Amino acid sequence: MAAEIDAELLSRVARGDRAAFACLVRRHSAPVLRFARSLVDAGSAEDVLQETFLAAYRKADTFRGAESARAWLLAIARNAARRLHRRPSPVLADEEALAELGARAGWGQTPSPLAAAEGAELRERLAAALERLAPADREAIVLRDLEGLTTAETAEVLGIRPGAVKTRLHRARLRLMGALRAGGRGQ
Amino acid sequence: MRRERSVGGLRCGEVLACLADYLAGELEARVRERVEAHLAGCDVCERFGGDYARVVACLRRILAAPDPPPDGFEERLLRAFEEAAGEPGH
Repeated sequence: MAAEIDAELLSRVARGDRAAFACLVRRHSAPVLRFARSLVDAGSAEDVLQETFLAAYRKADTFRGAESARAWLLAIARNAARRLHRRPSPVLADEEALAELGARAGWGQTPSPLAAAEGAELRERLAAALERLAPADREAIVLRDLEGLTTAETAEVLGIRPGAVKTRLHRARLRLMGALRAGGRGQ
Repeated sequence: MRRERSVGGLRCGEVLACLADYLAGELEARVRERVEAHLAGCDVCERFGGDYARVVACLRRILAAPDPPPDGFEERLLRAFEEAAGEPGH
């Protein structure tokens, strides 16, 4: 149902329909802004958000109804962030041994990184740990775990193969657990 | 670095490598059964798998709802849209 609504809205946006554009913005601006904040600093995220929706208007007639409008907008946002804030792609230590990542995440150790936290403190610790990740790790977690995109949709947004999405997501989660443990030691 | 154990036909490192697929229900039945046998016999991996699942569940439950855009954003964007829609070629 949501997919049909988005397809209809984008079809109207392509014809310059202001009300449809406003509706599209209301439906998707919060997740697009969150994704933008995972890519650029907070002050620039609103620029990315505005650029995303204006680009969506300009290319609304290229939207294929079969795909997810949310994933389509997030892919536009990612391109906008790169265009507005050109910087070298972060080098991820993806060759890092999984066992090393696991050990930092608490594999084989106690206590659990979240054992003592709950409620607002848990939210704060998770958000802080997410903030400490490299952008490539953070965007994988935001797309898959927070936005709920499928592996295939995430692969489309990131421009990588589905298998690479799975690998990146798993390693990103392990690094997040490592960041939680590090934060829990009084950082 | 912890010492690897072999339980249920899998080493701890192999279980670590397929933990995400296991929790997503994306392992083929034969591998899933071996992972489950390992987890049943290895308290270290069982505990870590629980932590991993809990972190993912917390992310999805606690951080799922994004904050709304700042006040006035929609009005600014609609003005920009009207300007773009008024340009020649649109």
